[in-house]
Amino acid sequence: MDSRLKDLAEKLDAGLIARREFLRKAAVVTGGTAVGLKALEGMAGAQSQTKLRVWLFKSFVTAGNDILAKQVEGWAAERKVQVEMDWATFGDREQKFVAAIEAGNPPDMAEMNYQGPTRYKPALRDVSKLAKDIAGARGGLLPYAERILNNNGQYFGVGRLAFGGGFFVRKDLLDAKGVKLPKVYDPDVVEMAKKTQDPSKDLWGFGQTLNRSDDGNGFMQNILWNYGGSAWDKDGKPALNTTFQKQNLEAIKFAVDTIQKHKIQPPGVMGWTDVHNNEAYMAGKLVSTNNGASLYYAMVAKKNPLAEKTQVILTPGGPAGSFVGSTPYNWGIFQKTKHVELCEDLVRWVEDEKRFDEYTKASIGQAGAVYKARADKPYWKTDPNFEGMLQNLLRGVWVGYPGPFSAAAVEVQAQYILCDMAGRVVVGGLSAEAALKEAHARVEEIYKIRGGKA
Amino acid sequence: MPTTAAQLSGKSAALEQQVRTGRVGLKRWLGPDYRLGFLFVLPIVVLVLALVAYPFGYAVYLSMTRKYVGLPPVFVGFENYVKLTFDGFFQRAVVNSFVFTFGSVGIKLLLGMGMALVLTSQIRFRSFWTGVLLIPWVAPTVVSALNFLWIYDGSLGVLNYLLVKVFRILPQGVGWLSEAGTAMASVIAVNVWRGFPFFGISFLAGMKGIPGELYEAAAVDGATVVQRFRHVTMPGIRNIVIIVMLLSTIWTFNDFAIVYILTKGGPGGTTMVLPVFTYEMAFGAQRLGEAIAAALYMLPPLAFVIIVLARHMRRGRAK
Repeated sequence: MDSRLKDLAEKLDAGLIARREFLRKAAVVTGGTAVGLKALEGMAGAQSQTKLRVWLFKSFVTAGNDILAKQVEGWAAERKVQVEMDWATFGDREQKFVAAIEAGNPPDMAEMNYQGPTRYKPALRDVSKLAKDIAGARGGLLPYAERILNNNGQYFGVGRLAFGGGFFVRKDLLDAKGVKLPKVYDPDVVEMAKKTQDPSKDLWGFGQTLNRSDDGNGFMQNILWNYGGSAWDKDGKPALNTTFQKQNLEAIKFAVDTIQKHKIQPPGVMGWTDVHNNEAYMAGKLVSTNNGASLYYAMVAKKNPLAEKTQVILTPGGPAGSFVGSTPYNWGIFQKTKHVELCEDLVRWVEDEKRFDEYTKASIGQAGAVYKARADKPYWKTDPNFEGMLQNLLRGVWVGYPGPFSAAAVEVQAQYILCDMAGRVVVGGLSAEAALKEAHARVEEIYKIRGGKA
Repeated sequence: MPTTAAQLSGKSAALEQQVRTGRVGLKRWLGPDYRLGFLFVLPIVVLVLALVAYPFGYAVYLSMTRKYVGLPPVFVGFENYVKLTFDGFFQRAVVNSFVFTFGSVGIKLLLGMGMALVLTSQIRFRSFWTGVLLIPWVAPTVVSALNFLWIYDGSLGVLNYLLVKVFRILPQGVGWLSEAGTAMASVIAVNVWRGFPFFGISFLAGMKGIPGELYEAAAVDGATVVQRFRHVTMPGIRNIVIIVMLLSTIWTFNDFAIVYILTKGGPGGTTMVLPVFTYEMAFGAQRLGEAIAAALYMLPPLAFVIIVLARHMRRGRAK
């Protein structure tokens, strides 16, 4: 019996205290003890089961998502850590990060896209040592990934993968018309599209939106580079309507011509979002489109007969060469975490080559290399379509090219300014010159705010 | 018992003391139980301050700052408002918002009135039709918008399929959400489809409250159907029309989901309305100060519309 209760009982027996007082004091002692024990239990539980909040990215490649989740759970079981996993998607990723950071409640760590280390730097830990350790053991980062993840000598994200992709072509339709695989957009893609399409059957030669979407951003950005232009000059200053005005004008005109002059794109293409070209291609309504490997994954996973009729080739180029932007996904660890070592351990665990190979195999081309050693893996030769996806990554450049990767360049992408520029011509009725001028003003405004550094 | 001078003097001193402390003034002004009254309203005052006044005040403050994600705000005064005023994309978003709002509300008013008139007439299965017409209003906005995204799809959408393949009205499909002439009309159509049952059901409730004798009297006096509608129905539901329009104007002006899901404000900013602009500014550009300024920018004009309509309504009631 508790000594305090014993004392009280003795006092009651001796008649020193009334029964009512005995009851009151006994209740206080008992209740206080119970509350104290509960608190101690909670503390003991917290010590034995550390909780880690991890945000993962939910890509369209569901088999890859499943394997990553399984690997994280495996790590948690091995380390006896409780993991609270949450998924961010293309549609809600930035919203979740902004809300969590502003509320002062970010996860311990998260899988981020290429924008994360720049945009959320104030809330992220410097993970340079871990990033260099992992990259060093894998032959170093590929040049495009190094330019994006190396933030003036510091790393705020540990490289993981980049979505492979390329130019998806219906090889069967090209063969039937005796058309060669295209190497440049103009004239190759235009001619290929005109020869193979049949609008009366709702089959279109090329399907690539310029609407506000990642697909539209990527296409317009690549076209600018292909024509020798860019939104940025070598020093990272706005160049849409200055340094590269002539090249950019040519690029816009070509992009718009695919819809208005050549008529090789389906009606409604300007209303497409990121999924529409996937759906149209898989429904057999497109001869060609640019897309990430998720389209190939979807066809293979759903046993779509078009998978066998599709060839994924290098993204076509233009007069100045053939360019494509590549963007690495990465692991970020937030400053607020109290479990830095566990977070780093989990990054090492999932980036372990055996586990990453398992993930790569399930992802059917989507888990593109960010490290040199991963680009040399025999996996990339197991399917002819992987070759185009890999080569696209290897020659990839970074957002902001030919200048540095910068916060301003990221915001231009995030605000869909290049898509809007083309959209203002196609839908808004502006001239290419006026649209270029308008977009340049927006880029300059962003540059003034964000500056030319990451 | 007569009051003595000493008693009077004592009462006067006590009164003076009370007046000095202001208690008499407060009691007279707020009533004898004002302390209890304060106690009773305290919870709601605290709630309003915590959940409305503080967030609103903080939003006003943030709108006057340069606020980026993860960094502390820097006060810049009215810079964000000035910048927005001269921003071409913001100006277009304002114009688009008015087109979207008044276009939608106008059509909803007509359709809602039609719906109410049909449902007050002698038709078969009236309850059934009332239920059916309420479905768009009951369905979640996101579900409706996603369905329309598919319906409008240029290649795989059911609308083009019907117009081109089944009824052969058009030789080729239309890019409903991708062309300047149809994008705004298409998003307005979805808002109208979703919102008109609210108009209809509200008007219907109002019409049911109009005594049948008024119609009979009007008919005896030789009033035509149109005259009966104009001089009996409309005055009878006038207040309801104003309230419904007022509410719908606010809801439509702030409608985010339909436009964002269907077009994200594209193509080329054709359907960019203020809620989507604000959202893009907050989560795309991640400039929170400017985003909040954009959200608050239209508050005064909207408040003006509300005040005018409310006054108009009160005046009508007084008459």
